[in-house]
Amino acid sequence: MAINGSQASYSPRPRPLHVAPGRARLQVPGLYRGNGLKRRLEARLRELGGVRYAEANVLTGNILVVFDPETHQLTDILIYIEGVLVDAGVTATDAPEMAEAEYRPATPPAGPAPARALPDPREWVRAVFGRAAPDPVQQEPTREGVWIGAAQVEEAWHALDAQEAVARLEARLDGGLNAEEAAHRLARYGQNALPAPPKRSELAIFLSQFVSIPVGLLTASAVVSVATGGLFDAVAIMGVVLINSVIGYFTESQAERTIRALTDEGQTYATVLREGKAVVLPSEQVVPGDLLVLAPGISPAADARLVTAQRLSVDESALSGESLPVSKQVNGRLPPEVALADRSNMVYRGTTVTGGSGLAVVVATGPATEIGRIQALAGEAKPPETPMERQLDQIGTQMVVLSSAICGLVFVVGLLRGHGLLQMLKSAISLAVAAVPEGLPTVATTTLSLGIRDMRAHKVAIRHLDAVETLGSVQTICFDKTGTITENRMTVVLAQAGPRDYRVAQGRFLRGDEVRTADSDLALQQMLRVGVFCNECEVEAGFDGLEVKGSPTEAALIRAAEWGGLDVPALREAHPLLLMHHRAEGRNYMSSVHPAPQGGRLLAVKGSPGEVLALCSQWIEEGEATTLGPATRQAIQEENERLAGRALRLLGFAYALLPEEVEVGEDLAALAPILGGLTWLGMIGMEDPIREGMRELIGQFHSAGIRTIMITGDQSTTAYAIGHSLDLSGSGDLEILDSAKLESLDPELLTALAQKVHVFSRVSPAHKLKIVQALQRAGLVVAMTGDGVNDGPALKAADIGVAMGERGTDTARGMADVVLQEDNLHTMITAVSKGRAIYDNIRKSLRFLLATNLTEIEIVFGLMAAGMGEPLTPMQLLWINLISDIFPGLALALEPPEPDNLQRPPRDPKEPIIAWSHFRRLGAESAVISGGALAAFGYGVARYGLGPQARTLLFSSLVGGQLLHALVCRSPTHGLFSGEKLPRNPALELALGGSLALQVAANTLPPLRSFLQLAPIGPLDALVAMGGAAAPLLINELGKVALAAPKHNPQPLELRP
Amino acid sequence: MKHEFILTSESVTGGHPDKLCDQIADAVVDHFLLQDPYAQVVSECAVAKGILFIATRFAGQASVDVPFVARQVIQQEGYDDEHFNARDCAIMSHIQEQAPDYYRILPRVDERTLDDAAIDRIPAQSLANVFGFACQQTPALMPLPIWLAHKLARRLATVRVQGQLPYLTPDGKVQVAVEYHKHKPSRIHSITLVGCQREANEPHPTRFRDDLIEEVIRPVFADEEVRPDHKTHLFINPEGPRLIGGPARHSGLTGRKSAVDTYGEYARHGGSALSGKDPLRIDRIGAYVARYAAKNVVAAGLAKECEVMLAYSIGLAQPVSIRVETFDTGKLPDDEIAKRLTHCCDFRPAAIVRDFALRQQPGNFLGGFYRQLAAYGQVGRMDIVTPWENTGLAERLKEK
Repeated sequence: MAINGSQASYSPRPRPLHVAPGRARLQVPGLYRGNGLKRRLEARLRELGGVRYAEANVLTGNILVVFDPETHQLTDILIYIEGVLVDAGVTATDAPEMAEAEYRPATPPAGPAPARALPDPREWVRAVFGRAAPDPVQQEPTREGVWIGAAQVEEAWHALDAQEAVARLEARLDGGLNAEEAAHRLARYGQNALPAPPKRSELAIFLSQFVSIPVGLLTASAVVSVATGGLFDAVAIMGVVLINSVIGYFTESQAERTIRALTDEGQTYATVLREGKAVVLPSEQVVPGDLLVLAPGISPAADARLVTAQRLSVDESALSGESLPVSKQVNGRLPPEVALADRSNMVYRGTTVTGGSGLAVVVATGPATEIGRIQALAGEAKPPETPMERQLDQIGTQMVVLSSAICGLVFVVGLLRGHGLLQMLKSAISLAVAAVPEGLPTVATTTLSLGIRDMRAHKVAIRHLDAVETLGSVQTICFDKTGTITENRMTVVLAQAGPRDYRVAQGRFLRGDEVRTADSDLALQQMLRVGVFCNECEVEAGFDGLEVKGSPTEAALIRAAEWGGLDVPALREAHPLLLMHHRAEGRNYMSSVHPAPQGGRLLAVKGSPGEVLALCSQWIEEGEATTLGPATRQAIQEENERLAGRALRLLGFAYALLPEEVEVGEDLAALAPILGGLTWLGMIGMEDPIREGMRELIGQFHSAGIRTIMITGDQSTTAYAIGHSLDLSGSGDLEILDSAKLESLDPELLTALAQKVHVFSRVSPAHKLKIVQALQRAGLVVAMTGDGVNDGPALKAADIGVAMGERGTDTARGMADVVLQEDNLHTMITAVSKGRAIYDNIRKSLRFLLATNLTEIEIVFGLMAAGMGEPLTPMQLLWINLISDIFPGLALALEPPEPDNLQRPPRDPKEPIIAWSHFRRLGAESAVISGGALAAFGYGVARYGLGPQARTLLFSSLVGGQLLHALVCRSPTHGLFSGEKLPRNPALELALGGSLALQVAANTLPPLRSFLQLAPIGPLDALVAMGGAAAPLLINELGKVALAAPKHNPQPLELRP
Repeated sequence: MKHEFILTSESVTGGHPDKLCDQIADAVVDHFLLQDPYAQVVSECAVAKGILFIATRFAGQASVDVPFVARQVIQQEGYDDEHFNARDCAIMSHIQEQAPDYYRILPRVDERTLDDAAIDRIPAQSLANVFGFACQQTPALMPLPIWLAHKLARRLATVRVQGQLPYLTPDGKVQVAVEYHKHKPSRIHSITLVGCQREANEPHPTRFRDDLIEEVIRPVFADEEVRPDHKTHLFINPEGPRLIGGPARHSGLTGRKSAVDTYGEYARHGGSALSGKDPLRIDRIGAYVARYAAKNVVAAGLAKECEVMLAYSIGLAQPVSIRVETFDTGKLPDDEIAKRLTHCCDFRPAAIVRDFALRQQPGNFLGGFYRQLAAYGQVGRMDIVTPWENTGLAERLKEK
């Protein structure tokens, strides 16, 4: 192992951890953090016949292999993996947990030179840290460590003695670095800041607007126009393209700015020792070798090795997923391979000190910290592709193919009918311009970015353009219980002191309706006092009441003592802490010793009611200590269980008076022979209150057809109680999956279960990724909330990662698609509604654009094929495009949500934005519009013969019909003849009014008329044109009513169990 | 029944996956009744590899952490290895709370306070044929094969817990074949013990066999009249050594061991599960009262062997039929015995709950009442006091 410098090289052997027939979980050397190796192993194993499934985990260093036991023995698999490892240059000296394993094999691989197995270590470093690693030739690798990035030394710091670490970092315990040295190190190692996500350049955003097939075709047709002398056409076409791109550019770069503004963190500060004094610095200026001062509430600014610690406990949940604070000690060297979560002599950036104090010497800053690397790892997870871009591209392509074919056909037919070559080329191109829905990308990007702005007004920040659209298709939303559903704050809600029950409301202890205090009820007083003594919170008198710093549970006890009327600071002062034993594995209580007022010692105990009760031999009944009989004991136990069933966090309290000389050890059962037992005081029940309106919110999700899944680290009773009170199962039966080891479940099994489960209990944040993946395997569109660093990968993997804006870590926000700025899940339903409306609106625009473009194709092709000459001139076609395509199309994109927007199930993500049935319908609709225009044309031909008058009638009626069709496209179901009216859309009214006015102007103003080659028409003709325009509207609206499927909701039969 | 025959009965240890499921289901019942004696609950459980499924339907005011109860049972049954343990196994729980109007059918009342008419208004909730049996083969008035099988199974579990054979895992199975001569158990034809060991070859199969014979079979038969003779076949892990066992190896399901719960197939038994049901389920308590009736008939000396069959119909409180079969060992005609039973014993569901104090029982036992019933026999228990083993009715049956 690297730490003892041994260079012996054996074959790297995978070690079986769990084996069943056809299935094995193996620990693989070098796999930890070895993404390259992961890919290689998985690929090679899948190549092997008979292996059904292989999944490597770079965070655990394990691989799961499912194979056909008929074809392979486990040993075959082991030998095969060993071979892959040898090929990859991994040796047995690579301790699985040593991060170096990925960078550089400890010894050159034995045997024949292997193919380039792992990526060049420097490439990896560059990928991770965004800058090149120094060339290996120029650098001095230390014996154990590897220099990375800006030359920070990578070392298994937890495997070093505190003194060794200090020496190696050339730190000074007697007062920290001096200013000069600190400045030197800052210059050398760089700022203690995490790498910012790479930024898209303005130019890249602008250029990306031009990369689409319709835009390409338009450009091409502009070029042909120039070649055929249609310079004006070309300018007009390019104008359309440019407008389109400029709008796209502005909206997207605005979105980019929105995102950037979000990830900007406020300045954070760190307290370090410099030149013998504690100074507060901006976190970025912390350098390796600095001594961090640790106190409750402080987040270590960098990774550091402890040098002193007093009862230090740290909440590492953001990093390791462990929800309980872990205790930290200075002592000892730990084995180098110890997992991150168990490195009890280290503190890490991104964690928070919850209790105690200490000093720690900084060993890694910025990107070299563990959190910096997790960010880099998560950055490698690929986001799933969103469907709309793909679909729009597809439709664009289809339209291009269709219009090209028809243009070609028109061109050929025209030539056959004897029209000139040049004239026909121009006509064909104008038809192409008319037929390609060039408004489409503009409409889509504009709609989406307007959606972003709209949602921002609702305190929802969207980080990716496509997220808006995916929001509308969310089928399952997973959310954390703590902080999202609940307030993440413990509050005492009831107490049982001796035989008396109290309920706590509005900061008062109530018995029945009577207010009680510590003064009136002695037993309550004693219990609250023990709750104050046996408590690690720091209490200071603040401006308004006490300022309490510490764990939520203990802080709740301090507040309860205040409610009971106790003077907490005075009590604390009168009874200083002499000794404290914390709870430990297998011993669920903590105890403290204080001087007793009447001499001797007071032993205060709090903990799991069952275990505390077991230590007691008497209790307080009517002010008297009496023996605790078996019946009372049983009653207390039952009460405990009953209250636990109500999802309360329960603590039992006991005390004893001891002579001074009695030594109090950790295990209080040892005191029994001396004392005979402790005195039971009672129980206090606390809960983390559910936020307001959550039940209604869940109901809204359900009626919107979105399944809700709650994820909690709590026991399943709490999960059940909350799941039940929120109606998570939607009045059905609640399914809870209670597992602390989700990863050990078969992935297929988890997929099957995840589709049923309403609550995952006892899971850690690290399992969220498993849950997301399981749901996605079932083909569901999944939204997942998160705020911790560890939630990063799950947020990234989810179709919609939702981060909390206030509470969330930078990492979580960085990985999310959606950030709820006020940490309020209610805004999520708004976002879903907007997302659905936006998608619907894009579909409405599409429907409009496609139907109107089809009418143009139908008319031009039909009339030319029928030998009626060229029905519409190129200028007329472009006019149609400009006034009847873009503006109504854009206005349709601004439709307000339909009234039943949140009463419908989410759309099927597999259904294309324009499905075949839509095509049939819009084909029919376009035929009706064409029919109206052709009828007007027919009237014109009959009255004036085939000439400008007839063409004018055709043109006017077509434009009118197309514009009015926008009204049909407002909703697929609601319309003129349906009962429910749609909310107004002023933009559409404006667009239609304006466009119709322009059309009237075209018909009446002579210059415009001659530009468009129109003939003046009389009132009767105008009436006919209007009829040709309005009739299709009425027919299509009637069709909508006929098509609306008769609604029938069969009532499900209910069977009584 | 012919006079010469061999009958084999099976029993399993509490750690057998099926029994584990029975115990979890009944532990859930215990916890519900402890919190709310009027709770109605049905609980069913299945376990396979690392996952346990538990479905619970209930009505009442109790709130039970079902997965916690399950983990407790798993822990107490001694599963602590890496393959299956209380900490790591995933528990999928399905909890269905009945609507409040459920009580219109089944009122929340203490049956002990009801008068006769009120008891009559609480009908059976389903159609059920239930059977009870008793015979003079053992002091418990149980057939000998199942009696021995339970004794062996219990011993097989005890030697693991007490440390005589620490290499055993909680899963084990026992079969005892008893030869009958002239309707009496005459000798032990064969005994099968299946025990699972933690490590392969640890100990060697020969040693394993010797250990089980010495530590399990010998002590169990020390105080039995009929003992294995030199011709008795002793099959110890006849299919070769078994590793680990338990849910990691084979799955389990509530209610699959009905014969183990009752008479080891010596007599008839109902098809439905006994475990995981609250005290108003007639298919469960009917089996208890039928055993009570049969046992008292034998205890009263009215027959050497007696099977009581009760037929309940949905919507009626009284059983629609009470049939007694004494296999030609009765002193009185079977119909006469049936008549006496009808007269002395109240077979209505609410009366059974009242007379056996079924709602209050869980409070009387530290390790739970129904959970203890779930392993080593629901009837014929001598280690715990179950009301249906009481022979207080015998005197009244004699008198009439």
